Amino acid sequence: MVDRSRRTPGLSSLTTSRISSSQYASHGASLRNQNTQSLSTQLSVFQSLLHNFAVTHAKDIRANPAFRAEFARMCSAIGVDFLASSHHREKGKDGDAGSIWAQMLGGSVNDFYFNLGVLIVEECRSTRAENGGLISVSEVKKRIQRGRGIGGGMEVSDDDITRAVESLSPLGSCFSIMKLGHRSLIRSVPKDLNTDQSTVLEAIQVLGYVTVSMLQLNLSWERPRAVAVIEDLMTDSLVWVDTQAGENEYWSPAFIGAAGVGNG
Amino acid sequence: MVTTSSSPLAPIPTSGATTEGSGAFQFPRLYSFPPFFNIQPVLSTRASQLASWSSLIQEYCRHHRIYTLTLVDALSTPLFNNSSLSRRLSLRDARAVIQWMTTTEGGNRAEWISAGNKKVKGEEGGEAGKCWIFWKKPEEWASALEEWVDRTGQKGVVLTLYEITESDATMKEEFYGMDPDLLSRSLSICVKRGKAQIFGGEGSEGVKFF
Repeated sequence: MVDRSRRTPGLSSLTTSRISSSQYASHGASLRNQNTQSLSTQLSVFQSLLHNFAVTHAKDIRANPAFRAEFARMCSAIGVDFLASSHHREKGKDGDAGSIWAQMLGGSVNDFYFNLGVLIVEECRSTRAENGGLISVSEVKKRIQRGRGIGGGMEVSDDDITRAVESLSPLGSCFSIMKLGHRSLIRSVPKDLNTDQSTVLEAIQVLGYVTVSMLQLNLSWERPRAVAVIEDLMTDSLVWVDTQAGENEYWSPAFIGAAGVGNG
Repeated sequence: MVTTSSSPLAPIPTSGATTEGSGAFQFPRLYSFPPFFNIQPVLSTRASQLASWSSLIQEYCRHHRIYTLTLVDALSTPLFNNSSLSRRLSLRDARAVIQWMTTTEGGNRAEWISAGNKKVKGEEGGEAGKCWIFWKKPEEWASALEEWVDRTGQKGVVLTLYEITESDATMKEEFYGMDPDLLSRSLSICVKRGKAQIFGGEGSEGVKFF
């Protein structure tokens, strides 16, 4: 080996430096190679373990909502979104189509969420005239668990529904999850609620219903403001009016049967 | 606040209705939603509300085997009066629901019964608001009857109207205990279709299917 600190005069120095740089390059390449190999070994071990896990527990993943949620959580913890990764079908080097996850899980988990997504869209559409396109996750869950027709009904968790709604996003649809107080709602209309409207819906969620004077008292709103917000919400079918209680009460169909719904 | 007579789940006493209902009627979830008992002012909401009321009324009547409703009487029954919520549908709103049910949009699931000959101005179904509730329409009853005759091999047999609605043989059929007026109306549809023939006079009619 030539000492690289020693500068040799003359043409021979050119050759030496070329040789040394090519030596470095080849050494670097072999190091990279080793790293890649060990990484790919690790990855393949991990994949096969995960595959084994998924295969062994495929039934549980499909049938048990709690288990499915944990599995989904584990996948996202290690930075893998199996819903997202199943969307693009890339051609691998060895010509295999479909994502890693679709292959490993036999598509069952993906399919589960996509099927659930379809059910959610159906439920949202069928109740849209009634609730203005805002429905609580728990209500959707109840409806899906009840199922339609014979053989319908499946065991799902809130987490599944949230995930399934998220999986609808590539469709560019307007389905989204929104938080209102401690409750999650699925919004299936593209309209955004303004702050006042959200405040009123939140109040309804807590109290069961609101009246104009309640809004005036608790939020110190002027009467026209309260009336305007209520009217907006009514126009969008987001609240229904009950005129049999003295002062008009406004109720949200998104919270039917929810806790806090008292008797006026 | 409206004071209501708190009546338990009891079938509505109407003419021609048999008090046969197995188990308590399962009300839909909207029934526990107070605004459901006010016809909503917003059009799109109202459309969905009317449809929900229509299906509730049909299901309720099917459960209790009710064929006609007299609104003034029915308003205090659980169908229109949720005593646990202290909410009830007003006569005006109930009329609006039935009126909607009579339209093609409402599927012709109801029909006003005019009170005798005297014309009450503007009031459909008389002051009391009497109406048919077609949880099965006459045409559907006609088909059900034809199917039953076919299934039980009674083609060409002369049957009395009593036999069809009151005998043990039809105990399990949906038309058991059916309103006689509705029965003859359905049978006349069978006749029009060329599937049956009616014999005899008032009160002692017989029918033959073929």
